[in-house]
Amino acid sequence: MLQMSWLIPLFPLLSFILLLLFRKSKSESTAWIGVLLTGISLVMSVGVFLAVWQGEGIKTEGTWFQIGERAITMGFEVNPLNALMLVIVSLVSFLVHLYSKGYMHGDERFPVFFAYLGLFSFAMLGLVVSPNLLQLYMFWELVGLGSFLLIGFYYFKPEAKAAAKKAFVMTRIGDVGLFIGMVLLFWQVGSFEYDEIFASVKNGDISSGMLTLTALCIFVGAVGKSGQLPLHTWLPDAMEGPTPVSALIHAATMVAAGVYLVAAMYPLFQASEAALTVVAVVGGLTAIFAASIGLMQKDIKRVLAYSTVSQLGYMMLALGASGYVAGIFHLTTHAFFKALLFLAAGSVIHAVHTQNIEEMGGLWKKLRITGPLFLIGALAISGVPLLSGFFSKDEILASTYADGKYGLFWLAVIAAFMTAFYMFRLFFLVFTGEARGNEKGVHESPSVMTFPMIVLGVLAVVAGYLNTTWFGTFLSDYLAQGPVELPHGDHHGPAWIPLVATLAAALGIGLAYLIYQKGTLSRDWITRSFPSLAEVIYNKWYIDEGYDQTVVKGTRGLSKLGVLFDRYVVDGLVTAVTNGVQGLSKIGSRLQNGQVQSYGTAAIFGIVILLLIVALTGGYFS
Amino acid sequence: MDLDTLLSFKWSVMAPEFIILGVATLLSVIDLFMKKEASRKPLAWLAGAGVLGALAAIFMQLDTEVTSILYDTYRLDSFSKAFKILLLLGTLLVLVLASNYKKEDIDENRGEFYYLLLSALLGAMMMASSADLITLFVGLELLSLASYIMAGLERRNKRSNESAFKYVVSGGIATAITLFGMSYVFGLTGETNLFLIAQNMQDPELLKHGFLLMFAFLITFAGLTFKIAAAPLHMWAPDVYEGAPVPVTAFLSVVSKTAGFVILLRFIIITFIAAPGIDSESLLLEVQPYVMILAATTMIIGNVTALRQRNIKRMFAYSSIAQAGYILVPFVSNSSLLFELIWFYLLAYLFMNIGAFTIIQVLTAQEKSNDISIFRGLFKRSPWLAVPMTFFLLSLAGIPITAGFVGKFGIFMGALGLEPAHYWLAAVMMATTLFSYVYYFNVIAVMFFRDGEGAKVSVPSGMAAVLAFCAVSTIILGVMPDLALDFFYGNFDINEFFMNIEAVDTHTHDH
Repeated sequence: MLQMSWLIPLFPLLSFILLLLFRKSKSESTAWIGVLLTGISLVMSVGVFLAVWQGEGIKTEGTWFQIGERAITMGFEVNPLNALMLVIVSLVSFLVHLYSKGYMHGDERFPVFFAYLGLFSFAMLGLVVSPNLLQLYMFWELVGLGSFLLIGFYYFKPEAKAAAKKAFVMTRIGDVGLFIGMVLLFWQVGSFEYDEIFASVKNGDISSGMLTLTALCIFVGAVGKSGQLPLHTWLPDAMEGPTPVSALIHAATMVAAGVYLVAAMYPLFQASEAALTVVAVVGGLTAIFAASIGLMQKDIKRVLAYSTVSQLGYMMLALGASGYVAGIFHLTTHAFFKALLFLAAGSVIHAVHTQNIEEMGGLWKKLRITGPLFLIGALAISGVPLLSGFFSKDEILASTYADGKYGLFWLAVIAAFMTAFYMFRLFFLVFTGEARGNEKGVHESPSVMTFPMIVLGVLAVVAGYLNTTWFGTFLSDYLAQGPVELPHGDHHGPAWIPLVATLAAALGIGLAYLIYQKGTLSRDWITRSFPSLAEVIYNKWYIDEGYDQTVVKGTRGLSKLGVLFDRYVVDGLVTAVTNGVQGLSKIGSRLQNGQVQSYGTAAIFGIVILLLIVALTGGYFS
Repeated sequence: MDLDTLLSFKWSVMAPEFIILGVATLLSVIDLFMKKEASRKPLAWLAGAGVLGALAAIFMQLDTEVTSILYDTYRLDSFSKAFKILLLLGTLLVLVLASNYKKEDIDENRGEFYYLLLSALLGAMMMASSADLITLFVGLELLSLASYIMAGLERRNKRSNESAFKYVVSGGIATAITLFGMSYVFGLTGETNLFLIAQNMQDPELLKHGFLLMFAFLITFAGLTFKIAAAPLHMWAPDVYEGAPVPVTAFLSVVSKTAGFVILLRFIIITFIAAPGIDSESLLLEVQPYVMILAATTMIIGNVTALRQRNIKRMFAYSSIAQAGYILVPFVSNSSLLFELIWFYLLAYLFMNIGAFTIIQVLTAQEKSNDISIFRGLFKRSPWLAVPMTFFLLSLAGIPITAGFVGKFGIFMGALGLEPAHYWLAAVMMATTLFSYVYYFNVIAVMFFRDGEGAKVSVPSGMAAVLAFCAVSTIILGVMPDLALDFFYGNFDINEFFMNIEAVDTHTHDH
């Protein structure tokens, strides 16, 4: 089985090629090509995963090209980390293919959409099986290209076109860092191979300054891809793409590639305390910052987008706090529940044809499948006990605490509270209360769309049991077979941590309930339900007002601050750079005035300047 | 020089040049006797056959040892063979473009076009083989003069006239500067032979003149940046590229640029390799910051100004300036990989740029416009043009699985590989590459994300063949760069470049 694992990425590639050939076809059964081929990838991935679970592994390589005396290699590798990624990517990809069959129904470029999905899946799976940094980098760029095409799929919308370009260029800024880090490492180690890099790190062949520098450069790449502060702004804009794309690329797979990169290069990061701290701080700040913005968004997909940024921040925080297992664990559970949430959101949008949550409401009764599934996803991401998010988030908090990063720990707890709040704000506004928009003819999505959601719903519940103190730490044991020496085993910190996490979730949900649920319920209902009405009403009023005065205003302010920071500092920087470049460009064009005399002058001037520099710095005059 | 000496030279060394010379002469004679209204297309075929013949001759020379004739002014070594292959290949593709170039204004002149092209090629080949300042310069001027006329081939087109005029004037300035620099070199060493100059550079007497040497280096270097369209002598490029007929633009941006790098390598590396600097032992080490400034400026000017261009030919002019900046980077780091890096990049550049110009020629001819909007909705109209164009643009931008990526990757590795690593230069290269994504991807976006109303584009079969060849090569070199690199390592030993086997004895014989 393992020898065949290089075939896994090739099936989606085949799907891409076939579908491009059928791109003029009007028949929507072309979708089955994509579904079938990614299905094969999924089956093989599961097979590979099971083999690795039993302790197997493989690495095969050959020379790609030789430059001077250096051989650049290509090949594939399967280890515990990437076998797990293979399953996640191919599973979500398969489900999204299936879902899109229903969601994209009636689109005139139906086969093209599936072709792009195939291209993306190919690139992402290729990225995962790469045994060296260069190969990873190549697929990394290809993944970006796939994302560019898919975000811009509705190219007749100017926003979509702009978002596609923005995503491409913004992530590219990160890639510059990755590329520089990778080439620097090559000259230190003489190879792009993970194994050889790790061996050099272990032997202490690389100076500590260089270790930190390269690790940080690589982290810059991860920041760009995973939408971490300050390169996150492209991710919410990327929501202009079709919703299944958001689920696949901008929730479960591509954006997690940054986290995967840090995890795959973990021994390098472990060797540099400074780099780990930077990872943790950036992750922690991103987690709370994005969560605060999520509190105010009105677009259902944008809430989820900020939530994704925030959750990716959690994963980075975990990795930075030596919580290798915790980071990957959260990556896994997040892939399931966030894909579920996006697909459910897509199902809602499919039904009501709007993304504005102010125009929804009362959909619980109309969407009998989507509603409960969305609730499962919301409960999972909020960290409600017994669902997957609870276990992985708990593990992150425990790692952070055990690592002594108490400040970040409390930040993460607050972010957890916010997460629960905005998720349930979303839930209550969309599914409960009365319809605020035109909801005539709203009906549940076809089974081809609900089936993938059900699968993800089940996983969003059970995936947490991969790693618990109660039943066994399967995931840590499994990952321990890999090349990474696990930092300090299981650190299940003090028993109060899960309690604090649960409390934060409960507070968030409770607050959302009080504000959005209570506000939409009629007074009658409360009077009938609670006999001792006066006191209850008073109390409710008190809590409501109290929260409104303190917490809500506080979080609103915080959120506003986040938005302002985003608008003026981050965007300001971006605008400054853009304006600078455009200014330069203008100057360049103006110099080019068509007068050949001025060209000659420029030439002579240039040479004179050079000679002057020589004379001055060379000490000719001294 | 008596007849015996003349006959004693191994003239077979110049076989490729003789073939080109012969065909060019033949073409001019035939052209003279052809009826005025007769189609000149057969001349293109003949010219193409000549270039193919010269290519074949070079392939037969692959195993030849380093040979030097004409009192060591002309040499056949791995370097000259490797780069002549690029020059010939580029010209061959440009010839196909030229033979399909349709414009009323140009018809009567078309015969000249072909033999001017061959003369320019001959000049470039001479530069690749020269080992003497005189022959280098003669080759350079032959290339330049032929190019000046070609730029103005569309006599009734004002733009074309303007382009030729500006090219001549700028070229004159550049030549003056180059000669000025070379005269310093001659004055300091008393020789014109490159290897003898190099020998005399080690003269302890020269240590006193470190400054003059540095000046000589910088002035000559700056003068030679004209042909490659790099700062400070780059400003002619946008105007000339815009006004010249498309095949000429393709020639200038690929073949002429390759020749520019050839002369830079020949002249700079051989003569200055052991030259003393002002304080340290090596001049080449001391000038690194200055070459770095030039390379960085070139990359910035090219990529930044390209952002504003709406005219596709001007955009490609700036892109070509930027690409010259990338190829200057190995000159700074001077790593042992210098030759293969530049050779590979130029090969990749040949395919991607000529490929792109093929499509530009087809589209500008059909739409009668140079605006970027001619690419609107090309993917819908003619996917078989849009897809190769995408490959070329991706390759120019340096995206993986294209030849351009491998080329840029190599240059980047070279820049960071040697001590001292050139972090700043590498950073400038990456940053400006980032800018280049914007304008390259803009064209892609126009092709894919816009609906165009234009008609389906028809492509003549010759052009289609060039297109297919360039597109396939761009991808193949990106996926299997070893094909080219193995060919390079297998056939060329770059040590020959520095090998001066006959200089000493012919010299004594001469005097």
